[in-house]
Amino acid sequence: MKNIGRKIAKFFSDIGNAVVKGDIFVKLSLLIMGAGYFGRKQYIKGIITTIFQAAAALFTVIVAIPYISKFSTLGTVEREMVFNIDTMKNEVNNYDHSFKILLFGMIGIIAIVVFVFLYLWNIIKVRELQILSQRGKHINSFREDVRALLNQKFHITLLFFPFLGITLFTIIPLLVMIMVAFTNYDQNHMPPSSLFTWVGFNNFKQLFTSTISVTFGYSFTKILIWTLIWAFFATFTTYIGGILLAMLINDKKTKAKKLWRTLFIIAIAVPQFVTLLLVRNFFADLGIVNTICSKIGLTDFLKTIGLVKDSLTYIPFLSDPNWAKVMIILINMWIGIPYLMLIATGVLMNIPADLKESAKIDGANGIQIFFKITMPYMLFVTGPYLVTSFVANINNFNVIYLLTQDVFVTHNQYLANSNAKETDLLVTWLYRLTQEYYNYKMASVIGIVVFIICATFTLFAFNSMIKGDKEEEFQ
Amino acid sequence: MRKKLLTALLSATLIVASLTGCGNKGNDSADTTEKANQTEAASQTETEAPAELENVKLTVWGSEEDQSMLQTMIEGFKEAYADKAVFDISLGVESESTAKDTVLTDIESAADVFAFADDQLNELVSAGALQPISINTDAVIEACGGAESGSVQAATADGTLYAYPMTADNGYFMFYNKEYFSETDVQSFDKMMEVAANAGKKVTMKMDDGWYLYSFFKGAGLNLGLAEDGVNNVCDWNATDGKYSGVDVTEALLNIAKNPGFVSLADEAFVTGVQDGSIIAGVNGTWNATVAKETWGENYAATKLPTYTLAGDQVQMSSFAGYKLIGVNAYSDNAGYAMLLGEWLTNYDNQVLRFETRGLGPANVEAAASESVQSDPAIAALAQQSQYATVQRVGGNYWSPAETFGAIIVAGNEKGTDLQKLVDNMVEGIVAPIQ
Repeated sequence: MKNIGRKIAKFFSDIGNAVVKGDIFVKLSLLIMGAGYFGRKQYIKGIITTIFQAAAALFTVIVAIPYISKFSTLGTVEREMVFNIDTMKNEVNNYDHSFKILLFGMIGIIAIVVFVFLYLWNIIKVRELQILSQRGKHINSFREDVRALLNQKFHITLLFFPFLGITLFTIIPLLVMIMVAFTNYDQNHMPPSSLFTWVGFNNFKQLFTSTISVTFGYSFTKILIWTLIWAFFATFTTYIGGILLAMLINDKKTKAKKLWRTLFIIAIAVPQFVTLLLVRNFFADLGIVNTICSKIGLTDFLKTIGLVKDSLTYIPFLSDPNWAKVMIILINMWIGIPYLMLIATGVLMNIPADLKESAKIDGANGIQIFFKITMPYMLFVTGPYLVTSFVANINNFNVIYLLTQDVFVTHNQYLANSNAKETDLLVTWLYRLTQEYYNYKMASVIGIVVFIICATFTLFAFNSMIKGDKEEEFQ
Repeated sequence: MRKKLLTALLSATLIVASLTGCGNKGNDSADTTEKANQTEAASQTETEAPAELENVKLTVWGSEEDQSMLQTMIEGFKEAYADKAVFDISLGVESESTAKDTVLTDIESAADVFAFADDQLNELVSAGALQPISINTDAVIEACGGAESGSVQAATADGTLYAYPMTADNGYFMFYNKEYFSETDVQSFDKMMEVAANAGKKVTMKMDDGWYLYSFFKGAGLNLGLAEDGVNNVCDWNATDGKYSGVDVTEALLNIAKNPGFVSLADEAFVTGVQDGSIIAGVNGTWNATVAKETWGENYAATKLPTYTLAGDQVQMSSFAGYKLIGVNAYSDNAGYAMLLGEWLTNYDNQVLRFETRGLGPANVEAAASESVQSDPAIAALAQQSQYATVQRVGGNYWSPAETFGAIIVAGNEKGTDLQKLVDNMVEGIVAPIQ
């Protein structure tokens, strides 16, 4: 932090310095950005810089200012139209589009900040040129500048487009979506026909409160708990299952290793949503698994031991909350274990054989070797993977949504009143809110909360689990 | 060596596949440019003759099954209005049941003219997506049987007509197998369940679905509808003061749900049930008529919904009347011609054509009165039911609470929740303001 502060201070003192001590060209470049380059005979650079300045000024006046001026209200004029029978067209007033104001206002603000920074930075650069020329040192021609970008400064050339891409496609959309959480953008306020506006932290308050009719708070707590339980089990069942499977296949006594491995990889090769939808049908209340279970008497057996209610003629695999939760975790194991098997196979092969052999000579049995050598080694190598897969499971949309959509109906009226189900993760709930109920503001709030949870967990886990010095500890 | 060969082969197929993929695309684009040239040539010849004609570009969305029929209708439209403008009309696929979602995602880039189911009307209107019909409005209303007729009501919000009624067959009614039921049997739900139970078969209706659940509550005289804002609901299904209370209806529902002759099934299960013979009657819509017709053959019959036992009385079940409509995008650049096209697609001739090619029941009164339409059992049943049916006007917060309520009933209220509490909770959810 100190470093950044120092850099900012230096940046501004440089500017001050340049303005005070600069010659006429440096001072002129306060007005026309290219002036400093013209003064040092860098004409092409001067022209480019001046064109840039003109373009930036035009963009600011024509595009940015109109949107930014409405940014504080997100628009005040609603759309009105009158049909004109003579022209056969609608006559529409000059209405405000809240979402465009939000989006372009945001882009405008970012662009202006960048312009201002470049403008200030330009002064420093021009001053540097002045010093060079005063000392009689060589000043680059345009061609030399371009060559420098391909050689010494190649990293700048190389990173320019990725940086631009990330700003355009990641940072700006992200900022806009975060902004939506502070507006009332929902079904009652949908642009282009109606306007939405800022509401501060109201939506966040709503997420954490529950009234009789609006049960967001209640549903949020329930869903959050299940999301964490799910993420824990989904991560560790597949992890341990994958390692055990890989060890089993790698074992010297196992015959036809390649066959087994291929069979499990076929499970990966089939697109996940196809398998999930098929499995959903298998386990439906009147599906094939239920038919088999009732034929072999499993349904009746489960009834006698009380796992299935007497009133049912089937096993509610995916229609009872508790059954569904267990089934989802089990089905996820079936889908996830082959992936882990692949990773684990690679890691297991890398465990130095001498470690195991010396352990054997010392009289350790298989279980001891597993817990003292294999597992620590695996955990060390796959630690980062575990963390990311936990976070990925918090956001594991496919498995939950495809297995429960249209099949699972909640019997909990409070959950139903906020369009949630017992088996929902925060992401699937978010999806339903946006896709079926156009509740963009609440979805955005939930998105932010999910991000905070994931970020906190990741930071915590990476810091405590995989510090840089662990490698030595392991050896 | 063999492996290398295999890899080479695989990559070769991949490359060939991708090349042919591109090749096809190339052909396609060649085709379209050719077509474009043709139309251009055509339009040139057209434009040369009279004074300058306006170029009008329109997009139409209709369901996948309707595409070729719609194309015929569009060609007819182009001919009929050839003296008014030069049309460039493109046709896209969008199911009537999902039109609202697609349109509301980005109204400005949605089609100028699109077909949708009438339950989406109020959300489309409150989002400002529909153009009020302002050309030949009175004639359109007249053709559908006047302002009071169901199809016009279904296309109207706040006294303004917002869409052209296209079909009047999107509601539900009772299918039954004449082998088991007489015409008097199907007058009463209790009798039907009794017959089915005796035969070891089932009568079905999807109870954990707001769409069907409505028929019991509305039949009992309880109300559900849109609030004045057009988005939220008003609902008195937990009333205790009327002739029948919400608890009465709930008890009646519980009795039906536990009857051995009844089962609550979703659409797909209904189809399998009919095919394997376990289902001999059920409440469903025209979309499953073909299956029942094919399976039951001569014995296939359809009629209005029966009465059910409510607090000792026999009460006629109500229903949602379903219509399919054609709407015009309020953001269309050519709203006028879009309206003319919408009207064209739903005029008498095209409604008859729609019935003849796709078997869809016309909303146009004259077309619906024809003998061939009247002799279709499903459409006749819908007509019988129509006097008890109401137009579907409910906000988005209705479905989820009603579904859960229905699911609790189907499971027999296992937790033994107080029935008043059960309806109270549901109504709380239904009337919860969208915020």
